[in-house]
Amino acid sequence: MIRHHPDSNMLLEYASGSLPWAMSLAVSAHLQLCPHCRRASEQLNEIGGGLLEDSAPQATSGAALAQLMERIDQEPQQGEPQHADSPAGEGAPVSRRNTRDDRDPALARLPQVIRKLLGGNRPLKWRRVSPALKMSRLHTGQDQYEVAFHRISRGGKVAEHDHRGREVTLVLYGSFSDADGVYSPGDFLLREPGEVHRPIATQDQECLCLSVVEAPVSVTGPLGWLVNPLLSFRPA
Amino acid sequence: QQTQTRDDDWSRLLVQVGTHRDRAAFERLFHHYAPLIKGFHYSRSVQAFSAEAADELVQEVMFRVWRKATSFDPARASANTWIYTIMRNCRIDMLRRNSRRQDADGCDVEVDDIWDESPESQPLVVLQHKRSQRDIAEGLRGLPPEQSHVLEKAYMEGKSHSEIAEELGLPLGTVKSRVRLALKKLETILSKRGAP
Ligand SMILES: [Zn+2]
Ligand SMILES: [Zn+2]
Repeated sequence: MIRHHPDSNMLLEYASGSLPWAMSLAVSAHLQLCPHCRRASEQLNEIGGGLLEDSAPQATSGAALAQLMERIDQEPQQGEPQHADSPAGEGAPVSRRNTRDDRDPALARLPQVIRKLLGGNRPLKWRRVSPALKMSRLHTGQDQYEVAFHRISRGGKVAEHDHRGREVTLVLYGSFSDADGVYSPGDFLLREPGEVHRPIATQDQECLCLSVVEAPVSVTGPLGWLVNPLLSFRPA
Repeated sequence: QQTQTRDDDWSRLLVQVGTHRDRAAFERLFHHYAPLIKGFHYSRSVQAFSAEAADELVQEVMFRVWRKATSFDPARASANTWIYTIMRNCRIDMLRRNSRRQDADGCDVEVDDIWDESPESQPLVVLQHKRSQRDIAEGLRGLPPEQSHVLEKAYMEGKSHSEIAEELGLPLGTVKSRVRLALKKLETILSKRGAP
């Protein structure tokens, strides 16, 4: 059961389209798992619909409709064409296949948007951060936020650490706990910079999370993150 | 009541476009929605876009409305809400295209993957009594001005809470609580009106 949700302010920023791309990715994945927030987000869309209905009409150019119909005429027949670069059905392109990722139980049942993200990042490259913690950075087409999978081994303890930016964690598989509680698949956590925690995976299985961390302002180049690790571990 | 009929009317026209590729129906939708889409982004009170950019957005939104009409389901959303979501995604696309850097390309995730309203990717949501769009517009008009103002800035100008706070010279916490109060107020209005 999901106990931790994005707050209504964040859902509204998502529904109105101002929430940054990487944060929206995490909210979207949560919505694909959480009927409660899905309903809230539909209500927020309805507010958008209400504002559209109520907005002050502005005349468009007289040729606008004719131009549009011309464009429609040039459109190949048949309902809604798929994007050329995304095959119909399952979001993830199969071209970059990797059997190790395919067999990975933690990756077997992911929300659709995460599957799509995974598709573009195959094969995943895991880096060992500490004995219990591995991470795989994900390319998302933006560089203001670092997006990554983190996996904690069964019963593994992650060193106490803080983060330099706002951090969102979405549990995807297994569960972990820290001083504040236990988090299970679908749970959405927001931590402010400076908050310290020490996650521990539960004993029965390993834990996979998606994390989105606001990058420090100093990160500029596309490879900035290589020399700018976001996690600052304290000496044990 | 007049408005209520009209509201259902737009949904019916959309269904006709979806099922029969009905051009006459589409033209009526265009005449109604194109000026609203433009006004949402460019009017006396809102200038999120230049007039030219707003015109470009109108073209793109209405083109997608034509293409996607086959997936419109009047049981799930009103025409206004459905078109709003297309318009929002389109706007994110446009802003993203303009700010995109060379090296950021090559990512498989697209706007419609993140802001995905298709029923297949969603958990089943028990449909509540379907609210008419008129109730929502009325509810919005009933909000105290400082609350509707932040909602308009968020939706129509596409501003984040912190951008709104900075612009209005308010603490972030104040903007957040105005938004929450507005949502709370709308929810009571809507649930009261939603009851048969
Ligand atoms: Zn939720
Ligand atoms: Zn952490």
